[in-house]
Amino acid sequence: MSSETLIRASDLVLEYPDGTRALDGVQFEVRENEFIALIGQNGSGKTTLSKCLNGILRPTEGSVRIGDLDTRERGTTKKIVTKVGYVFQNPDHQLFNNTVHKEIAYGPRNIGLSGDEVERRVREAAKVCGLKEELFGEHPFFLTKGLRQRVSIASILAMRPRVIIVDEPTTGQDRRQSVEVMNFLRDLWEKDGHTVIIITHEMPIVSEYARRCLVLSRGRVLMDGSTREVFGSPEVLAQTFVKPPQITRLAQALGGYGVRRDVLTIEEMMAEYRRVTSS
Amino acid sequence: MDAATIRGLGWKYGGRDTFAITDVDLSIPAGSFVSVVGPNEHGKTTLVSCIKGIIPHSFHGVWRGQVEIFGQDTRSLSAQRLAQETGFVFADPEAQFTSMTVEEELAFGLENIGLSLREIEQRLSWVSALTGIDGLWDKSPYEISGGQKQRVAIASVLAMKPRILILDEPTSMLDPLGKDAIFSILLQIKRETDMTVIVVEHNVEQVAPLSDLMVLVYSGRIARAAPPAEFFQDCDQLVEHGIQPPQATMFLDRLRREGAFHGRLSARFEDDLEALKALLGPPAGQGTRP
Repeated sequence: MSSETLIRASDLVLEYPDGTRALDGVQFEVRENEFIALIGQNGSGKTTLSKCLNGILRPTEGSVRIGDLDTRERGTTKKIVTKVGYVFQNPDHQLFNNTVHKEIAYGPRNIGLSGDEVERRVREAAKVCGLKEELFGEHPFFLTKGLRQRVSIASILAMRPRVIIVDEPTTGQDRRQSVEVMNFLRDLWEKDGHTVIIITHEMPIVSEYARRCLVLSRGRVLMDGSTREVFGSPEVLAQTFVKPPQITRLAQALGGYGVRRDVLTIEEMMAEYRRVTSS
Repeated sequence: MDAATIRGLGWKYGGRDTFAITDVDLSIPAGSFVSVVGPNEHGKTTLVSCIKGIIPHSFHGVWRGQVEIFGQDTRSLSAQRLAQETGFVFADPEAQFTSMTVEEELAFGLENIGLSLREIEQRLSWVSALTGIDGLWDKSPYEISGGQKQRVAIASVLAMKPRILILDEPTSMLDPLGKDAIFSILLQIKRETDMTVIVVEHNVEQVAPLSDLMVLVYSGRIARAAPPAEFFQDCDQLVEHGIQPPQATMFLDRLRREGAFHGRLSARFEDDLEALKALLGPPAGQGTRP
């Protein structure tokens, strides 16, 4: 992991005005071209941390540096939005323009890009998100939830951030819709070199897509490691009320047979079954 | 006796070109626990709205066929009668809140139907214990956590003692602890009451073990309706229809296709685990077990 560090949170503390200490000394580095999942029970600090990573929230103590920007300094917001994008859980909290085109163009226009450049960014982002130009004149409100989510991701991508944070990309979606949005995020990571950070409660999604997990509990980092290491540590996950995916739990319940504890997929479980039965 | 009997049901919403559901035939035995699964926009909510009777009572559209609740055609029953027979819980609990405190929220419906104070008190303490909301009575239903909101929503519907309880994606907005709490409440309802429960749910892994009947709604039709022990025998068909069977069940299905496993797929984790242990025999180093 010698790749460039894009975001560095050091001794990060965040207290809300009511005195709640949502983050209590977090160390976290986000590097180039990673696929990270933030996991932990509600109230563990996932969403608060993600909002610190793009400067929506400023640290009470400690610091968050995005490249050479310190999020505590005033006047950094316009620079941050070109580096770290944040997609809200509910696309309807983010969409406010009356056409798809205006929605995607809003950010680039707001940072003062020329008309030609704005147009280029809109077409580029729409293409990456699989939004056809026929949709440009549509009102986002009348699109399906999946398409509205793509419009909100496109409006973020138009700023060309290297890091894109997506809060609960699959909540309320059925299996096909979940696979569609997650495959799309995987393409952004794999083909376009973005760093993708998701916040989710759906562990099968984490094991299928994320390569690294940050496990949070009560505002602290319980564990930061590869998805395999994290799901192979059920006793750590239990402290923040997270259960590994069912196939991993099946493998762990068969520990007496010598089955590995860190199986992540059905394919891997098949390989383990063959290994155990042939010996 | 059937809680609901559906024959040749079709419904087209006013202004739409196609039927949302069509040719639906289904019998739901009284006291059973039924899960309705399927992709979004394929007719699940329309189907349960027809059982609840809000279709056709509160919607414009084209109706075909017949729905009976305990032997009575829903079109011949008054909206008030239907409201008493069937309770409805939404994915978003705030959609049903009308009161300033949890206690008022729970008592509202009961006062409306003119129950005695004593009866109201008894029902409140019953639903409050069952759903674990004893400490919340003085709170505003808007200020508590998402999981608590959904428990209050279920409690206020349960307190009316409907004969049929319908829940439309009750866990879709909740975190894992919140989901677990709702599923354990559903298990208690199943054990303690003779209510018929119909739940629309994407979480097949958690809902299947509770179910007497699984119903797959696809393209407005019933693609499959069977008890879990039969429903999951054809995993391929389920996956093709956008349903993800539990991973352990998928794994046993793979073993079965390779000829290594010959048992049934239950979609209950403990059963799948036992089946696998039986297949593997006693673990090495532990001697033989009966």
